[in-house]
Amino acid sequence: MLELTHLKVFHGPIEAVHGISITVQRGQCVSLLGPNGAGKTSTISAIAGIADYQGSIRFQGADLAAISVEDRQRAGIALAPEGRRIFSNLTVKENLLIGAATRHDRRAVRSDINHWFESFPVLGERRDQSAGTLSGGEQQMLTIARALMSKPQILLLDEPSLGLAPLICQQVFRLIKELKSSGMTILLVEQNVRDALDLADYVYLLNSGHISNEGDHNVFGNDANLMAELTGIH
Amino acid sequence: MSSLTPGSGFRPALTGALILSVVLVAIGVLVELYGQRYQIRMVYAAYVNLLVVLGLQVFMGNANITNLSHSAFMGIGAYVAAICVTPVKIKAISLPDAPWGLNTFALDPISSAVIAVVITALLALLVGLIITRLTGIGATIVSLAILVIVHSIFLHYTDIFKGKQAFFGIPRVFTLNSILVVTVIAVFVARLFRESRWGVQLRASADDEVGARAMGVDVFRVRLVAWVTGSIFLATAGICYAYFLGTISARPFYFTHVFLTVAMLILGGMRTVTGAVLGTVLISFGLEGIRFLETGPDVAGIKLPEMLGLSGIALGVIIVATMALRPSGIMGNTEVEQLFRRRRT
Repeated sequence: MLELTHLKVFHGPIEAVHGISITVQRGQCVSLLGPNGAGKTSTISAIAGIADYQGSIRFQGADLAAISVEDRQRAGIALAPEGRRIFSNLTVKENLLIGAATRHDRRAVRSDINHWFESFPVLGERRDQSAGTLSGGEQQMLTIARALMSKPQILLLDEPSLGLAPLICQQVFRLIKELKSSGMTILLVEQNVRDALDLADYVYLLNSGHISNEGDHNVFGNDANLMAELTGIH
Repeated sequence: MSSLTPGSGFRPALTGALILSVVLVAIGVLVELYGQRYQIRMVYAAYVNLLVVLGLQVFMGNANITNLSHSAFMGIGAYVAAICVTPVKIKAISLPDAPWGLNTFALDPISSAVIAVVITALLALLVGLIITRLTGIGATIVSLAILVIVHSIFLHYTDIFKGKQAFFGIPRVFTLNSILVVTVIAVFVARLFRESRWGVQLRASADDEVGARAMGVDVFRVRLVAWVTGSIFLATAGICYAYFLGTISARPFYFTHVFLTVAMLILGGMRTVTGAVLGTVLISFGLEGIRFLETGPDVAGIKLPEMLGLSGIALGVIIVATMALRPSGIMGNTEVEQLFRRRRT
């Protein structure tokens, strides 16, 4: 479904990712793991179209090189960005509406918004409140719900547990697990290794812009050296 | 069109617009019934400025991109309407050398107004293709350049615009009642635009442009829609101005007016229509008090000195104080109906 080939990602003159190749099959949850500065967010940003890159990104067989950020979303790629990046001056409901910016089925959009308010009652209670006033966990729920409002083919999740309390992290990962069970294709960037391995069908380990290892999540879970490399616990 | 369908709060928006309209109509009716001619003119001028500030809010308020060219578009609306509507006999005297047969025809006020709005909107569309691709200081400087260019054209193409002289003989077909109707419609349109899909997408792009684009928002398109919509408000303001006074010149469509109307929007709060209305009302009526002080009046038996220029200083102080103490203006993100809802809860 998604194929990155010899991908190099740039931030101005700096090359942050050095020619990696990654494949995500339909219905899979693929994790990109690695320490800070490994190039995980850069990779996901290139897929979303908000970072410059060389190499090839193919989605459902089509090369995305000439496809704008907006059209990538229309094509079915949804990003739940790092640090949430909610629209803090908009209400909770307006944030969800923005997630559906490319849709024109008004009734279905309304029904989907109500679905999310039922799934996350706390968002429903605060539907007319500025999203900037939500807690970190609530904002993360909103970010994921907003990304899903576009009815994507693939969900790019960038550090969904970042800065969240352990209990809230569990809720977030429970939600991602439910999405995976429903057949959603997910590319997950995460530093929370154990939860990410628990979710992933396939794992890529990034280090300094290179893929240093890859494989089935069981391989990673059973390899003590690799786990030490991932978790930093020796 | 789906983009004009309600965003977050269609019904609250109508309630809010209704509340604002009731206040505006009440002021207008009270002045009409009990006011003197001078006060009627003052309220009329305030409502013309309100149309301008609402036009500013539609683009600048929702997109958070500073626009300083608005008075130029108001001027274009005023001049186009004036050229179309002024009787041929008068144009033979005031515009004897007008090119393209501009002094050989005269249209009725409604047709002239429609032509003025269409031409202003088309010019705005051309300018908008550039300005909506810019943000921050780039957009501000380009808008400033447009103001200067348009003003220079008004001043130097005397065969059409009469330069520094007054363009006279425009039929005075508008009254306070006319502008009340126009203003009420404008309040509703501005409020519904803010809550429409376009408005919500524009406000999202003001919060985080890259984030909005990543959500599939066509930022340039929504900005262009808002820019052209705002220009229609500005052209309407110019037409109302010309149709009431019967005489126009280039001077009112320049820096002083830009500064005044930007101060109105900043004081009230540029993110809301309520802020635009509140800022306009406060500064319009507040400035009257300050102008009174400028003349050196007797207050409680004390003769105050003449303080010429006090109104300009006051406007500057308002902008500086608002930006320093409450950058989001008096209303911030709050529309008038939300005040009532908060009180109830």
